[in-house]
Amino acid sequence: MSDEKTIVCRCEEISFQTISDTVREYSCSSREVKLRTRAGMGYCGGRTCRHMIDTIVAGINQEPIADEIQLSYRPPARPLTFGVLGGMQHDNESR
Amino acid sequence: MNSFDVVVVGAGIIGCSVSYHLSKAGYSVALVEKGDIAHGTSSRCDAVALICDKKPGIDTEIGFKSIQLYKELAKEFSFDFEFSTRGSLYVCETEQELEIASGYVAEQRADGYDMKMVDQKELLEIEPYLAKDLKGGIWTEVDSTMNPYLVCFAFVEEAKKYGLKLFTHHEVKGVTKGPDGRVQSVITDRTTLHTNRVVNCAGVWAAKLGQMVGIDIPIQPRKGMVLISEKTKPVVSQKVHEFGYMLSKFEDIKYKRNVSKLVEENNIAFTIEPTEADNFLLGGHRAFKGYDISSENDVIRGIAERAIRFLPILKDISCIRAYAGIRPWVPDHLPIVSEVEEVPGFYIAGGHEGDGISMAPITGRMITQLISGEETDFNIDRLNFSRYKQLERVSS
Ligand SMILES: Cc1cc2nc3c(=O)[nH]c(=O)nc-3n(C[C@H](O)[C@H](O)[C@H](O)COP(=O)(O)OP(=O)(O)OC[C@H]3O[C@@H](n4cnc5c(N)ncnc54)[C@H](O)[C@@H]3O)c2cc1C
Ligand code: FES
Repeated sequence: MSDEKTIVCRCEEISFQTISDTVREYSCSSREVKLRTRAGMGYCGGRTCRHMIDTIVAGINQEPIADEIQLSYRPPARPLTFGVLGGMQHDNESR
Repeated sequence: MNSFDVVVVGAGIIGCSVSYHLSKAGYSVALVEKGDIAHGTSSRCDAVALICDKKPGIDTEIGFKSIQLYKELAKEFSFDFEFSTRGSLYVCETEQELEIASGYVAEQRADGYDMKMVDQKELLEIEPYLAKDLKGGIWTEVDSTMNPYLVCFAFVEEAKKYGLKLFTHHEVKGVTKGPDGRVQSVITDRTTLHTNRVVNCAGVWAAKLGQMVGIDIPIQPRKGMVLISEKTKPVVSQKVHEFGYMLSKFEDIKYKRNVSKLVEENNIAFTIEPTEADNFLLGGHRAFKGYDISSENDVIRGIAERAIRFLPILKDISCIRAYAGIRPWVPDHLPIVSEVEEVPGFYIAGGHEGDGISMAPITGRMITQLISGEETDFNIDRLNFSRYKQLERVSS
């Protein structure tokens, strides 16, 4: 399978190729790769792909780039509807 | 030698713009950043450049000019930062809000800005998913949006063409002054850069940099949480926010909304904006919590509550993530774009609070004009740092 076809981030459909090209071009951290490519920013919040992205980045950047946050998980722990979060019943709700 | 015409501290959107404009003007520039590009607030915010949320006067004038500059940059740059002019909509919940809004629009129109009032029917034609009971709103077609961290990357890439040197993962620990009191060098945890000019673009951390040269910069962090929706159909086609937003932004407007305790106590006002990736960003929230950027459950609940009141369709749409950023707040809501009198060669470009994205191009341009000794595009006496000294004198 080619690097272009190997998908690392399934939610955003970002390939191994895109990620490694970005790391090489900008010699950047996982966090910056995420901002530049959207890898890890999908529906699952990076739970599926985060480890792989970190590994690819560490593999290319010989010396690990210090970044205290790396790829952080962000709450909520899993997707919830706005209805559930905000409470379905509303006094001032429109009809 | 590590010697530069100007050292810019902070690679947020302001520092990146300042670096670009200075490099383009021919200065040798070092951009120093403790993390990577867009490490701070500029990757933890929304993404709109609006004139509709500015106060009439200089605030709107420079905001408007900045949007024009973005348009030019979008054409000029080879790096795409997802700029588009989608417009924005303020929605009013009550007749009273509508009345305050009309007064505000009249004032802005008198100054020549293209804003107009829309009634209930027009509102729903523009944004069909809005709650049916809203009274009307303000429509500003010139308002624009872009991707803030891509703007940072774009400024840096373009500036590199003019020779910008980037020092990421360098934390500034000190700024030294010569015997004449002028800036002499910038000391990071890894190196020393010699220069006679420093531009402090450290966002909410600007005060810490100020302390290094013995000045007191009144910039404080003001937190804001954002919720991200899953990718979904276009529930709105532009930035939509409640007019009460204006009221939560400026403490001097006296108006009380009829909202739940949760919304009131957390200073929450509905905002939503589309992104190029078809996710929607929802807010908005303002609180003084120091440098804390943790997510707060109450705030998440309050934002969701307020969001479904204005946009009921969101009930069945998922929130996939939440994050918080901290705005560089100043007491008088006007940014500081200025040289510091007491420390020649020390400049401040900061304190843009919730407008740093909007204001980045014009700020970079005017700092460059100040450094070159040219006349600035606008009379920026009111953005001068010395205004705070005058305040001190008055109050003491
Ligand atoms: C929730 C939210 C929504 C927002 N929405 C909008 C919007 O829609 N439109 C808009 O115009 N604005 C918006 N803003 C405001 C905007 O995000 C800020 O005004 C802007 O990002 C500030 O940019 P900055 O470059 O001044 O600061 P930052 O982006 O914070 O950059 C400062 C940089 O300085 C670095 N730094 C600090 N100290 C040092 C040091 N000692 N050495 C080296 N580097 C250092 C930091 O790491 C950081 O990268 C929003 C803000 C929030 C929080
Ligand atoms: S697989 Fe990358 S965000 Fe879900």
